[in-house]
Amino acid sequence: MTSIAVIRAQVENKIPGALTPYQRIEGQRIPTGVASLDAATGGIPRGALTQICAAGNASVGRTTVLVSTMAQLTRRQECCAWIDATDAFDPASAAAAGVDLSHLLWVRCDRSRRLKPLEQAFKAADVLVQNGGFGLITLDLGSIDEPSLRKVPLTTWFRFARVMEKMPTALVVLTSYPAAKSCAGMTLSLADSQDTWVNPGDIHHARMFSHVCSGIEMEIRTRKPVSSERPRFRATPVWA
Amino acid sequence: MSPRRTPLFACVHVPDFSVQAAFRHERGLAKECPAAVLHGPDSLMKVLACNGPARKAGVRTGMTKIQAEACPGITLRKRVAGDEELAQQVLIDCGFKFAFRIESTCPGTIIIDLNGTERLLGPPQEIAEKIVDECRASFDITIGMAVNPDTALLAARGFAGTTVIAPGEEASRLAPLPVSVLPADADILETLDSWGVRHFKALASLPPIPLSLRLGQSGLYLQQLALGRIKRELVPAEPPPVFREGIELEEAVELLEPLGFVLNRLLEQLCQRLITRSLATDQVLVDLVLEDHPDQQLHADSSPPSPPLLHHTRLKLPVPTQDARVLLKLLQLDLAAHPPQAAVKKVTVEAWPARVRTTQTGLFQPLGPEPAKLEITLARLRAVVGEKDQQGRERVGFPKVTDTHRPDSFQVISSFSPAREHINEMPHGRVANTLTLRMFRPPLPVKVKLRGAAPSTIVFPGIKAQVMDASGPWRSGGEWWSQAGEWKREEWDIGLVSDGHPAVYRVFQDCVSGQWFVEGMYD
Repeated sequence: MTSIAVIRAQVENKIPGALTPYQRIEGQRIPTGVASLDAATGGIPRGALTQICAAGNASVGRTTVLVSTMAQLTRRQECCAWIDATDAFDPASAAAAGVDLSHLLWVRCDRSRRLKPLEQAFKAADVLVQNGGFGLITLDLGSIDEPSLRKVPLTTWFRFARVMEKMPTALVVLTSYPAAKSCAGMTLSLADSQDTWVNPGDIHHARMFSHVCSGIEMEIRTRKPVSSERPRFRATPVWA
Repeated sequence: MSPRRTPLFACVHVPDFSVQAAFRHERGLAKECPAAVLHGPDSLMKVLACNGPARKAGVRTGMTKIQAEACPGITLRKRVAGDEELAQQVLIDCGFKFAFRIESTCPGTIIIDLNGTERLLGPPQEIAEKIVDECRASFDITIGMAVNPDTALLAARGFAGTTVIAPGEEASRLAPLPVSVLPADADILETLDSWGVRHFKALASLPPIPLSLRLGQSGLYLQQLALGRIKRELVPAEPPPVFREGIELEEAVELLEPLGFVLNRLLEQLCQRLITRSLATDQVLVDLVLEDHPDQQLHADSSPPSPPLLHHTRLKLPVPTQDARVLLKLLQLDLAAHPPQAAVKKVTVEAWPARVRTTQTGLFQPLGPEPAKLEITLARLRAVVGEKDQQGRERVGFPKVTDTHRPDSFQVISSFSPAREHINEMPHGRVANTLTLRMFRPPLPVKVKLRGAAPSTIVFPGIKAQVMDASGPWRSGGEWWSQAGEWKREEWDIGLVSDGHPAVYRVFQDCVSGQWFVEGMYD
């Protein structure tokens, strides 16, 4: 026992902190604007990688949660960036959700270039993280198929997670499955709730989903940190 | 009452200005080796000016190029229009570091009004040393300092190094100078020479009335100059509307990396000049003159000479900057994206001056990206994802919804100009979770089976599903007055279950072509 203590002391003398477990500093949280989610998690953490995922091409509100978070930030004059691997972002929807578009940098990847959109997105994320000054950087890989995402090495996610730790920025990845695995500081998995399509009730004037639904109700499962709470929220179209 | 200050003027003179201007970027060459500037038609070029080592080697003004080439080790350069103008601007900018009233007296000579700067800059001798240090990077200069501009001018032209003339000593200090230093016509100098008047002392001792009778007012004026008694106001130089730097390269540059070194030097000089005037720039234009292709030269005998090939690069910055590194990085990224089609033989950089941006940020205002750094970031992002899409919209920038009913209409503004625009505030009591659409750009063609007018089955890549419910049609159209731009469509919101997951899509039928498309998915 004595010899181990001596060795430990010698190692720590030369490399301080080599044998001390890495302490992750808990950063501030950005409210998402989704009351139930904010109550359960406190919001999206700054200085960490967060992934929001949902299986398949389901209308489960991944984009809605992110756009709502951006609206919260841009209202406070903070700048956000949206890296759009498949050019799927709709400025009109975002503006309707309250996002100040003059504070949103939109990077639209190009399918026709030699570099694949996924690679372009990661390179763009690298450039933006280096620049700093953004409150939220969104990497929208929501429409990228799962096999392509699985090819992204874990070291890529790990590198992003470590770089983000020292920054007051939140990096949010929108994916079809939890690709960043343990590198993510928070993992939200969205799914449709049992009563997904809310009945229109007494809405008369709207050009709406009409009798399809007046909104979609989603359920959020916090996979990391693990929580038994499953906050629900309901998103409605702008005209409803 | 404060005591009346003695005025002080400094004249900065660049000897052999044409040579120094032509070899400004190769200072060592112009200083130590014989060098001369030629002018005239290519078939009969003559020496316009030469430096000290060349004069020692026997080169004289007016010699032909062949005669000058007989001097061993001489470097000859053709006079380029604009070189001297640029050099004069650089000289003026050096002067602006010491005072704000500068007179551009003639090419190679400026006079600086140093009145009241003694407490700030020190005694005259110290100021002169500072001026020499400041100009050392570009020119070898002589300096004259006196209480009136013309005495300072004559001292700078007549004596080597620095000459400081104290008040009251003008006549005695200028006395040994030759009369050829005076700004006189050749016939007056010839007359003075015929009288045996070869120095200022002799001219100063002539009786004024007989001098006036023989040479008129010009003679008296020259005598007053020789005595150091002429007093006049300076004519201040105006700042140029555009700051320009240029260089003609000995060997054409083919690669972007060495071109970066050339641009770096020019940009540093430009930014230095801007800084001396407390200015910045928000617009930079780079003109590259390209080397003609050898094949074109072969055909040149039979055809008229073609104009030089040019490559233009223009930078527009949202915020004025004085940082040469920022400008260089932006230019390098731009040139990498749009490389010149041939080797570069001449580079000109122009910068439009703008006031330096001064902003006071709020104490509680969140920090945003630094504007100059962000411009580089945007340029880097453009290098990754491209510049524009097929509709000509930027791929990197800040979106803006266009004021039209046409679906998916937006602009992307390439530069960052954060302005708090009108933000849609949620109606009171309304849940702020507005459902967002994920677009398919361009809209995906879709096969639709109809039940009545409503879609019942939908098939597009990755999806084949029964429509659970549909809402529509929601008709819209516009620009009916324009044949090319007219659009008309019927939209449907459809709910379906795909792979066990419920999804809501927006599909539409183009009424012009009858084709169905899926525009996006609500998520």
